[in-house]
Amino acid sequence: MMVSADLAAIAGHRFQEVDVTEIRAEMVANVWKVVASEGDKMADGDTLVILESMKMEIPVLAEGAGTLTKLAVAEGDVIQEGDLIAVIE
Amino acid sequence: MTAPAGSRLAVGLRAIVTHVVGEADTAAAMGSGDVPVLGTPRLLALAEAATVAAVAPRLDDGQTSVGTAVHLEHRRASPLGAELAVEAELTEIDGPRLVFMFIARGARAGEDGEGEVIGAGTVERVVVDRGRFLTRLAGPPLA
Repeated sequence: MMVSADLAAIAGHRFQEVDVTEIRAEMVANVWKVVASEGDKMADGDTLVILESMKMEIPVLAEGAGTLTKLAVAEGDVIQEGDLIAVIE
Repeated sequence: MTAPAGSRLAVGLRAIVTHVVGEADTAAAMGSGDVPVLGTPRLLALAEAATVAAVAPRLDDGQTSVGTAVHLEHRRASPLGAELAVEAELTEIDGPRLVFMFIARGARAGEDGEGEVIGAGTVERVVVDRGRFLTRLAGPPLA
């Protein structure tokens, strides 16, 4: 019984709901400019990075508010469609 | 940022560029072939010039357009001295992206009574801020 109670406590702690948003590339592009940094508090619509594709600047925006916990790209990177750009929790 | 298309742009804008084929326009001179007739790259340049002329007067200050995609059919050969008229028309506006149709005609009348069709196709361009576009070529800006 004691073990079950512990597990319940652990589960309650570990599995509390956290919204995680993965932002992925929608096209092949060059990463021209990284605007945000890991740890930044982001608001919905804030610019994370600016991509360059087809001679255009394409800002990648935060999809919801939260903390930028992972930034998976760097300036100069070439990314493919579906590549992870950032994670916001 | 990528510039939205100038607010004065509208589908249907058009322009015509005329040209007489000279030595420098030939495939042999341009390295795209080895015969002394209008080179396909030169035809494309004329088509692009027409697309630029069609919208340039309507772009906002500081804006320009740059080419991004082309489909071109070069249907007939044009010898030295041939007169060409290349007409471009803006057919679609999708944010900063512009789509043009173009047709190149020679001086000799074709079946439709107009100049015979030398070439035709589409050109896509995007509207950009000229300064930012050129700055971007130098790489990421300093923080």
